[in-house]
Amino acid sequence: MIGSIPLSDALLVSGALFSIGIAGALLRRNAIQIFLSIELMMNAANLALIGYGAALGTREGQIIVFFVIAIAAAEAAVGLAIFVALFRHSETIDVNKINLLKW
Amino acid sequence: MTAGRAIFDLAAAVAIVFSGLMVVGRNPVRSVLSLVVAFFGLATCFVLLLAPFIAALQVIVYAGAILVLFLFVLMLLNVGQEQPDRTGRPIQTVLGSAAVLVFAGLLLGMFRGSGAHVPTPADPISPSALGDPAALARLLYSDYLLHFEAVSVLLLAALVGAFVLARPEKVS
Amino acid sequence: MTLPLWVLPVIPLVGFAINGLLGTRLGKSFVTAVGCGAAGLVTLAAYSRLIPFTSGDHSTVIEPAVSWIAVGNLSIDLSFRLDPLSALMLSFVTFVAFLIHIYAIGYMHHESTDAGYARFFAYLNLFLFAMLTLVLAESFPLMFVGWEGVGLCSYLLVGYYFDREYAAAAGRKAFVVNRIGDYGFLLGMFGIFATFGSLNYSEVFKKAAQQPAQFSPALAAICLCLFMGAMGKSAQVPLHVWLPDAMAGPTPVSALIHAATMVTAGVYMVTRCNVLFRLAPEVMLFVAVIGCFTALFAGTIAVAQNDLKKILAYSTISQLGYMFLACGVGAFTVGMFHVMTHACFKGCLFLGAGSVMHAMSDDLDIRHMGGLKAKMPITYWTFLAATLAISGIPPFAGFFSKDAILASSFEAPGLGRLLWFVGLFTAGLTAFYMFRIVSLTFFGQFRGTKEQAHHVHEAPASMTMPLVVLGLLSLVAGWMGLPAVFGEHANVIEPFLAPIISPIAGHDAAHEALPHATEWLLMAVSVAVAASGLYLAYQWYAKQGGRAPARLAASFPGAFALVADKFRIDELYDVLFVRPYAWLARTLWKVVDVLVIDGILNASAFLVELVGDFLRFLQTGNVRNYALTFFLGLIALLLFVVGAS
Repeated sequence: MIGSIPLSDALLVSGALFSIGIAGALLRRNAIQIFLSIELMMNAANLALIGYGAALGTREGQIIVFFVIAIAAAEAAVGLAIFVALFRHSETIDVNKINLLKW
Repeated sequence: MTAGRAIFDLAAAVAIVFSGLMVVGRNPVRSVLSLVVAFFGLATCFVLLLAPFIAALQVIVYAGAILVLFLFVLMLLNVGQEQPDRTGRPIQTVLGSAAVLVFAGLLLGMFRGSGAHVPTPADPISPSALGDPAALARLLYSDYLLHFEAVSVLLLAALVGAFVLARPEKVS
Repeated sequence: MTLPLWVLPVIPLVGFAINGLLGTRLGKSFVTAVGCGAAGLVTLAAYSRLIPFTSGDHSTVIEPAVSWIAVGNLSIDLSFRLDPLSALMLSFVTFVAFLIHIYAIGYMHHESTDAGYARFFAYLNLFLFAMLTLVLAESFPLMFVGWEGVGLCSYLLVGYYFDREYAAAAGRKAFVVNRIGDYGFLLGMFGIFATFGSLNYSEVFKKAAQQPAQFSPALAAICLCLFMGAMGKSAQVPLHVWLPDAMAGPTPVSALIHAATMVTAGVYMVTRCNVLFRLAPEVMLFVAVIGCFTALFAGTIAVAQNDLKKILAYSTISQLGYMFLACGVGAFTVGMFHVMTHACFKGCLFLGAGSVMHAMSDDLDIRHMGGLKAKMPITYWTFLAATLAISGIPPFAGFFSKDAILASSFEAPGLGRLLWFVGLFTAGLTAFYMFRIVSLTFFGQFRGTKEQAHHVHEAPASMTMPLVVLGLLSLVAGWMGLPAVFGEHANVIEPFLAPIISPIAGHDAAHEALPHATEWLLMAVSVAVAASGLYLAYQWYAKQGGRAPARLAASFPGAFALVADKFRIDELYDVLFVRPYAWLARTLWKVVDVLVIDGILNASAFLVELVGDFLRFLQTGNVRNYALTFFLGLIALLLFVVGAS
């Protein structure tokens, strides 16, 4: 049980999660769901970090993940605040419809 | 296969499946809840990768705070379901899907063989002590004190920013 | 304590600066004082340097001033040279220029505004500066500075009435044709430097004189190029076309620049380089033939013209031809003698023409004149004296110099006799057309309009005084070159100038003078020819009122028209050179500049616009598209990194 997870397994899972997250970020039009996909991507990165930390036998990976979680929290707060302001202004959450900077 | 391996595989499978559900789901609330489950699976993986403290943080902060915040906003704004795409311009979907597949393939290729040449550290920490919270805390408050303080300031800034951004507009 | 030579050109230069910068503001009297004062001062200064020459001290003085160019092998100093040749030029250039400055006071007085008046005198002083630099230079480049300077002043002064299209064009023509000659001069200078390794007179001439065999092969080409420069500056065929047009300038300019000084610079240059020319006998022959031909050519054209100044212009070209004839047969000193006498009588003729022009309210057509003798006696008598001089009637000045030229030509080997004959015939022509002017202008009845008749008056004192002085000089100036028949030491100028003809090692054959009997015979023949020319002109124009020549012209209408039209040389040049050049310029403009160069620029701008127009579609405003682009870039980067490892 202890230290018996090979690194490649952890990385493969991380890669799969990251790809799913990217797919969601690119293919969805709902702003909330794009945001959720981004959170998923960050977690995939966290998993990779933890995996490396376990494989290398250091605590640095965990420390980094600690900070990533904190920053993700801050980012989520601000992002959602922006989202709220946007929704108040345009009454839609379809990202396609927000294109004032179009040529 | 050892028990740990089996649990890891199971937890990983849960995470992947529910992330997929999150991505394809129509209803945003269902998406958030699927992600919560996925995060639980991920936390289990963390435990098996000798990071129990981080697993706890994941559940408390990520699943318990951030995603709940998402839910709050969803309820507040009463966001409906996503309407089907009517613009008739498929380039984003086509190119996006293709890109994602290429990318996934790349990652697969890159990660399959890794771990074979991982260097062993000079001063190895015993696996059981790797995730010790006290040790982590000590590390956090000594070597990484600056980062710690910086992140706290960041959180403050985010707090103020969110407050300002989400304020209702003044009617002059 | 002698005045340094470099001061001489500087005096008129200072006059130019003062008049040019301040003249407009300070009024006509000030300008007159500065302009004429500078000319007078430099005359006095020049004569102070000439005093040693009168006491028999004929040595050459070279005064190095400052180092000018020192690059590699080339070292040129700003040095000045005073030897018999430059002393002779100095003597009459300064004095004649001074007289003409005085004349110009009266001539320009009521003609111009304050600004124009100041400009005129400033340019006259500038001209004097350039001419003195030319004459006093000790090296080819410094002479060339003066050479170009007089060309520039010629342009400025011929185009003095710049608001008249004709005058401006004449100025340009003078400058451009001069430039063509200068091209030859420059090539000659390059050749001299390549051959002799130096551009100083003393070094070049010494080397050429001491080792003729070594240098003579290259010298034919060099001298031909130098002569090209002389052809341009001294208006020989085929570069003569600018001089008649240059009569568009004010008359003092025509007198000073185009009669007395600038046009003789070519003769001066050839005489200065006599060592080089004597080592290139084919070029000497060429010079003589061109000179003789030009004399005849211009003389025939002069017969058919009716504009007073134009006739004098062609007469100048003709007389310059004589000077080159003299140089070409080896009689360089005789050529310089004629330069000096020509300055006196041609200057007098032009100033007289200016006086007539004033009296006739700027009409120069001699068919409108007549009977002016009574109303303008001073002008008449001085003009007559100068006419007799140019016709070669003794004891006037032109006789001695022209006769010396003809005698030298007669005794020259090869084509000498033929050239003598043509020169003799041209002398007759000269007498004829000059006395035609006198007859039509001063004798008979007045043929102009009533207002012109009313306006006719003698010129003011500032104009008649120089006329009188030059008229007197037309009489006496020849007496310093009396031929040998009058005694061994009668000729003063020949031995004076002899030092400039340096001996060339192993080259000079012994020169035997003509037997006295032949000389008397030649003199008698030339006087007879000149007298018959005068008589014919008198009969035809003064006595018979011009009926006979009119009938003669009418019976050969085609030939007469050709001659009157100056043999249509200008039209020929127009077709051969001017039109193709204009076409080339227009093509280079319309095709190369507008189509190609501008086209390339416009095309590149258009291309940029096109690309921009195309690229703007990337700005969809849709954040998903941007994210996709981002991601694609990431994949590319990843592939690159993976591929590289």
